[in-house]
Amino acid sequence: MSQKVIDALKAKFGDAIVATENQHGDDVALVKREQLLAIASFLKDDPAMLFDMPVFCTAIDLLQWRPVGDRGAPPPGSRPEYDPGEDHDGLRFEVCYQLRSLTHRHRVRIKCAVREADARVPSLAAMWPGFDWQERETFDLYGIKFDGHHDLRRIYLYDEFIGHPLRKDYPKEKRQPLVRRPDLVGDH
Amino acid sequence: MADLKTLVMGRKDVADLDLETELPPELMTVNMGPSHPAMHGTVRIVLSVDGERIVKGDIQPGYLHRCFEKEAEHATYTQIFPYTDRLNYVSPMINNCGYAMAVEKLLGLTGHIPRRAEFIRVIVSEVSRITDHLTCVGASAMELGAFGPFLFFLKVREWLYTWLEEVSGARLTHSYVRVGGVNKDLPAGWAEKLDRRLTEMEGVMVEVESMLNLNRIFHDRMAGIGVMTRAEAIAWGQSGPIARSAGVDYDVRKDHPYSVYPEFEFDVPLGTSGDCLDRYLIRVEEIKQSTRILRQAMKMIPDGPWIIDDGKVALPPKTEAYNTIEAMIRHFKHIVDGIKVAPGECYTFLEGGNGELGFFIVSDGTGRPYKCYVRSPSFVHLSATSKLIKNHLIADIVPIFGMINMIGGECDK
Amino acid sequence: MTDVNPNAAKPAVSSEAPGNPPAPIPPAAPLTPAAPTTVTLTIDGKPVTVAKGTNVLEAARSLGLDISAFCYHPGLSIAACCRQCLVSVEKNPKLQPSCQQTVGEGMVVHTTDSQSTLARKQMLEFTLLNHPVDCPICDKAGECTLQRLYFEHDNADSRVDVKKVEKPKVVDLGPHIVLDAERCILCTRCIRVCDEVAGEHQLEMKSRGDHQELTTAPGQQLDNPYSLNTVDVCPVGALTSKDFRFTMRSWELEATPSICNGCATGCNIEIHHNNGRAWRLVPRLNLDVNGHWMCDEGRFTYHELREQRLAVPTVGGLPSSWDKAVKLAAERLAGPLKDPATVAVVLSAQASNEDNFALARLAAAWKAPLYLTARPERGDRADDKLRVADVNPNRAGVLAIAGAAPLGDLAALETGVNTGAISAVVFLGHDLPVSETALRRLRELDCVIALASHERGPVKAAAIALPIAAWAETAGSVTNVDGKVQRMHPAIDPPGLAVAGWDAVARLASAAGVGKTVAWEHARLVWKDMTAQVKPWSGLPWGREVRPLALRFAGSRG
Repeated sequence: MSQKVIDALKAKFGDAIVATENQHGDDVALVKREQLLAIASFLKDDPAMLFDMPVFCTAIDLLQWRPVGDRGAPPPGSRPEYDPGEDHDGLRFEVCYQLRSLTHRHRVRIKCAVREADARVPSLAAMWPGFDWQERETFDLYGIKFDGHHDLRRIYLYDEFIGHPLRKDYPKEKRQPLVRRPDLVGDH
Repeated sequence: MADLKTLVMGRKDVADLDLETELPPELMTVNMGPSHPAMHGTVRIVLSVDGERIVKGDIQPGYLHRCFEKEAEHATYTQIFPYTDRLNYVSPMINNCGYAMAVEKLLGLTGHIPRRAEFIRVIVSEVSRITDHLTCVGASAMELGAFGPFLFFLKVREWLYTWLEEVSGARLTHSYVRVGGVNKDLPAGWAEKLDRRLTEMEGVMVEVESMLNLNRIFHDRMAGIGVMTRAEAIAWGQSGPIARSAGVDYDVRKDHPYSVYPEFEFDVPLGTSGDCLDRYLIRVEEIKQSTRILRQAMKMIPDGPWIIDDGKVALPPKTEAYNTIEAMIRHFKHIVDGIKVAPGECYTFLEGGNGELGFFIVSDGTGRPYKCYVRSPSFVHLSATSKLIKNHLIADIVPIFGMINMIGGECDK
Repeated sequence: MTDVNPNAAKPAVSSEAPGNPPAPIPPAAPLTPAAPTTVTLTIDGKPVTVAKGTNVLEAARSLGLDISAFCYHPGLSIAACCRQCLVSVEKNPKLQPSCQQTVGEGMVVHTTDSQSTLARKQMLEFTLLNHPVDCPICDKAGECTLQRLYFEHDNADSRVDVKKVEKPKVVDLGPHIVLDAERCILCTRCIRVCDEVAGEHQLEMKSRGDHQELTTAPGQQLDNPYSLNTVDVCPVGALTSKDFRFTMRSWELEATPSICNGCATGCNIEIHHNNGRAWRLVPRLNLDVNGHWMCDEGRFTYHELREQRLAVPTVGGLPSSWDKAVKLAAERLAGPLKDPATVAVVLSAQASNEDNFALARLAAAWKAPLYLTARPERGDRADDKLRVADVNPNRAGVLAIAGAAPLGDLAALETGVNTGAISAVVFLGHDLPVSETALRRLRELDCVIALASHERGPVKAAAIALPIAAWAETAGSVTNVDGKVQRMHPAIDPPGLAVAGWDAVARLASAAGVGKTVAWEHARLVWKDMTAQVKPWSGLPWGREVRPLALRFAGSRG
């Protein structure tokens, strides 16, 4: 358990840590975007923390989040159904970073909630190069922009792809227009 | 001779500066892949080269992207197993097990899986690990010109695939593991067959090692190539044989033990120089350690059920489903609704053939995951490769790439 | 606004009809204290306070405890015949059916004790003893209460291996319903629906013991206008609808809440659809409007969503494009608009509030007079249950939107057309029940523009037809006979190039040069303007946009 990591974060950063939880052995902290870089530095450099291994970076699209228990009613204690709000500016995306410490062997997950209209977080790729491609992947599939990333372009999909397919409002069966290749010789 | 060396190895000290004027090097862009014999599983590298020397390599994966995560959001938990087979398709059992462990953790069933099922999972996982390493080493050796080891190792790999086919019904796309255990029991006579094949494999290993380990050409091509320092390995998120070759002592089976691994005696080889040769040696040694685990497991495996006895998680036997309404209803609710997992999220990881393979599953109470993210080690390793190939020759890409063991299915998901 | 979850709070819209006088002030309170109207009891250690007269089952459900039950239905009388909801009540030596047990002050109820849990498990086992292994061929699979309760509360293997009782399997009960007597678990919900909801005794049980069977009452068929509600309440696949059986599996369906457009009652419904096609309509709970029920006629209104649809704009009956069609419409209207009184803008009681509001605003921009078209009333329909004579879903809405402006009726429209006083008609919908002569005149006029979803009757006569989305394809609202504004949610996409009605009006307006005041990006912006302008609706919220949910996780069936 890395409860002491969560405690240290809360002690040092106060209300920049919006929420914490411990689920199935994972320690998770939801933090404010403005303090993300400071928190990341602390986690990397502080001798009691020493999170030196980047594990993964991804995002969760909460647009269709609707927890279901018995007979359709949400189970008690679960995160409430996502409410987009009157002007559709709810906190739709949660960018997740999972970190691990080789020396202390503890793990933590840092999350940062952003709105759809303002889906950007500071990039942590400079601190942990292992997040480089994973941030590109999150950008490619979810459309989250990482400020300060040295080369934020699509990684899995081709450049002419329109949209961000892992978003919940991107239909699974959606077709993309055929990409014309004027550089190819012949009739295409 | 000195001139030739200058030509091949790039600009070295020039004897007489007045006689020669270096033109600024014009970088040439060379495309490698995606259709290339050495680009395992289709990857494209756009190389900017100065002669033979790589100045910049832009690695572009994604040619095998099959939307695993999007499909997983629309399939029930059990329907996702065939998708996991096709992630790291040279060690599919490990993917199956990892995913099953992830769902079980969310269900709170970790530790409640029947012991025989755990042992079966370890056995098939280790066999898969062996096939992974055999493929990697064999293919890499072939790309360096050593065709013999490739054939030998593929022969062994085929024995193991045949054994896995007898267990699961398919050579590669097993879908053998289920949430709560495995699909069916191991077939009669499995232990004798496996034991015999492992012994034969050990004989083949001796042959191959004698061909490669002290081979001058092999050494020249692999030693000192693609060096990754320990600090780099950690910062780049490397795990598995690559990290261990750089001296990072991290193996999920030892550091965060899962299943019944604590009951086995095995070692984890650790390298020092972080080059391709170390990675090769580690993989070969890991094959031997996996064999050690398998021999212990064959003796220690208990009798018992191969799937948990929980009607909400396991399908009923077919004879009952066809003949009694109770089992028929249970079968229907399973298939139609899926296994209902309470809302929550969890990251579960294990030691794949390549390193830390993890599944980050977000569940919402229905029978389908809300999000099923795969932390694929090949993807992370490939991101470091663009740094590894810098300042090497084009020909060095082959051993580097081979020893990274980037499996396209796992990298591109 | 109501949504799919039946446990949702009551809708936010006002249930008072617009324009009613305020309620009278009640007399001063009496001096003697009134008897308490609530009761506090303890269920599984948790205290709960409910209204007097509530049964223990409902009290438990309000705590989130779902006690299994078959024959209990909140909209029907208590039968307590299935014995599935047995609970332990302290101070009572026998287990009590919680649906029948009224709450008592200080009562202590246990639902998780071994005795009542075993009783409920064994009751399920008993029910399944003679149940045929029909799931693969039964329509109810996936939304079957028996499947769900067995899986959640029993899940044990069968203990016997005997031949099951055989009963007739395909019994034609009436024009809409087929009975499979083997699957029936004898809960009598269907009998109570016919007796209490439809008011006609058409179903009965015959014989006893494990030979008991559902049958029609002597000399009766199951043909009352509310008969298909029995299919909804049946917990198993014993009663199946001929319209729906064998067409679609329930786990493939998605559920979207909407409002029935069959008549002015505006029953709340759920559209069950899949792959862009609606497969059936079922009622949704709304205690203020339709309770748990709807009539059979309304259930069949989904068929016309796929009949004679207008999918592309047409000019002179031939397919065209939006740009060309609206441009031509604007050109043709330019002449008659010089004298706006000759342009008839016809609102439709069949169309949504938003579509009508958009068209009314266009008419106001033109200063053209408004007319109202509606399907003729059917007096034979009206009963004291749910059905009313007015078969138009939105007459009250159109009247509210027109407000103080004069709204001509069909007779006036017909006179105008026949005499030539009207030289251009822009009408919404496909119902213009005018006489043959008027229709012939309309065909001759070259400035008749239809904004319709179906290519029927007067739409075929129109010079230019613009396709709009039907009721199940649009986010909008209708106003029922009591003045209640109810939200519809889109379930499927409109066919071809059809767009929402207000969007079609906006395109026409933009081509006609009045696009400044008649333009909206989204239905909720139309709603904003509409509720600002129509006084009785001011302040009503647009509510959540409800997306289709997989039926088996929506919680409304099974």
